[in-house]
Amino acid sequence: MKIGIPFLALTMLSAYCATGQDTLGGKSPSKESHDYDLYRLQSSYPPYGLQKVQEMVRNLKLHDDTVGFGAKRTLSQKAYLSLSLREKFTYHMIFPESYSQNCSMMPPIPDEQDKIFAELPEAFGEYNWSDRQTKFFLANRDSVIQLMRECIAKDKQVGLNFKHVIVDISAREMIPLLISFYNGHKRDHDLLTVLMLLMSESEYDQFLLSASYKKLYADPDASYKSFLIFNTANEALILKRATDFYNGLHP
Amino acid sequence: MILPAVMLLVFFTGSAAQPKAGYIAVPGGEYTVGKKNYPNNPVRTVKVRRYFIAVYETTNRQFAAFVQATAYVTDAERSHDALVFRPGLKEFQWISDSTACWRYPNGVGAGGIDHKMDHPVTCISYHDILQYCTWAGVRLPTLDEWEIACRAGTKTDYFFGNDAEQIGQYANIWHGRNHLVADSSDGYMYTAPVGSFKPNPWGLYDMYGNVFEFCNGKINASESGSIAHARGGSWWCSKNACNFFNSYDIGRVNIHASFSNQGFRVAQSN
Repeated sequence: MKIGIPFLALTMLSAYCATGQDTLGGKSPSKESHDYDLYRLQSSYPPYGLQKVQEMVRNLKLHDDTVGFGAKRTLSQKAYLSLSLREKFTYHMIFPESYSQNCSMMPPIPDEQDKIFAELPEAFGEYNWSDRQTKFFLANRDSVIQLMRECIAKDKQVGLNFKHVIVDISAREMIPLLISFYNGHKRDHDLLTVLMLLMSESEYDQFLLSASYKKLYADPDASYKSFLIFNTANEALILKRATDFYNGLHP
Repeated sequence: MILPAVMLLVFFTGSAAQPKAGYIAVPGGEYTVGKKNYPNNPVRTVKVRRYFIAVYETTNRQFAAFVQATAYVTDAERSHDALVFRPGLKEFQWISDSTACWRYPNGVGAGGIDHKMDHPVTCISYHDILQYCTWAGVRLPTLDEWEIACRAGTKTDYFFGNDAEQIGQYANIWHGRNHLVADSSDGYMYTAPVGSFKPNPWGLYDMYGNVFEFCNGKINASESGSIAHARGGSWWCSKNACNFFNSYDIGRVNIHASFSNQGFRVAQSN
């Protein structure tokens, strides 16, 4: 399994070099911030039938060849059904079938490496998962979790696409793995975001009552651009809350 | 350069150029666009030729005339992949509805446009819009032209100043804290008839909200050919999510994507 940056995410990055509540003051982002932004956008590429799936994607026919560049391509139902579950997992993880909204991209913010964001950045730029794809993740939740575990263990990376799926299917079972992985690497603050989103999604009382939750998700002015300053206290608090939350699920 | 629409029309009435019904004329010249300390759209001076821009967003009635004349089939009608919104969805979540298209902007279940002919047309893609423009002998405004017209000579975040709280007077937007619960607090959950809110100083309606308005042009030369840009925010946009109902933000979407909050207004060069 390779880790890479989706080609569309690169496009998005070049188009939207900086904005947000916290602006750059007209300056370019620092190299550290820029590098961290690239790091955040990395996706995981599952190994299961990867070459086969990539070849199928390359050979997709457009719905209508006359409509020109950029038309959405979707694997036919027949071709899709011919894939094994593991191959479907790979297909969904690397090839979003639908579109994303005009304003849904996360505007880059200065000193990204020093922030813990309320939300994750987009995984696929102008594209997004289709209903068929999100339903697959939900319908095969246990398998999807297991496959992500395997990939994370092998690659030592939790790609942005994985993070979105973890949140979308509310994979609370993965909290110990996420915490362990975070403690082993420390760099990926979006893992803290994932933990907060899992607690928020589950309406975990101790998190809903916290100042962090209020600032990120409940204040009248809280938005998808909101963030906490990264420091050891905030980091420790999120990890402790997530641990307590998980332990409460499995007393 | 602040020139109220009336002045513009008087100017052109008194010159060789004739005012166009439904348009305001924007004189050629240099204009300031962009936002200070905003690298996506930095403050700069741009030079444009005289152009005309529609007072209103293009309506269902206008698009229906195009379809009737050409039997054109939109991307959404061909691919059945329009993305629609229903209250209860998480932020930025849209769902595909195979029945949705410009005739049924939020799917057949949500009703058609029979009584919404004066609403902006939606669920059409950038690709569809180019076909409309060719037929109608018009074009989309460029990114700069849109902003010049929107700003109407102002240099603030909004054409009414910097007080975001005033947005509700000028724009059909989403006032709810999130999109889990329907919001019709301004009278409209989805689109509103064009011209339902106060215009900008040049007499242009719905420059913010109602529908995202596609423009021509790229932010930089390296952008993918599959990306189009749209501006002004939409009925879906709230201050907590999106917040693009201003004079400086620039959205992006695939050129074949069809959303029920995407529309356009047209421009002409002569």
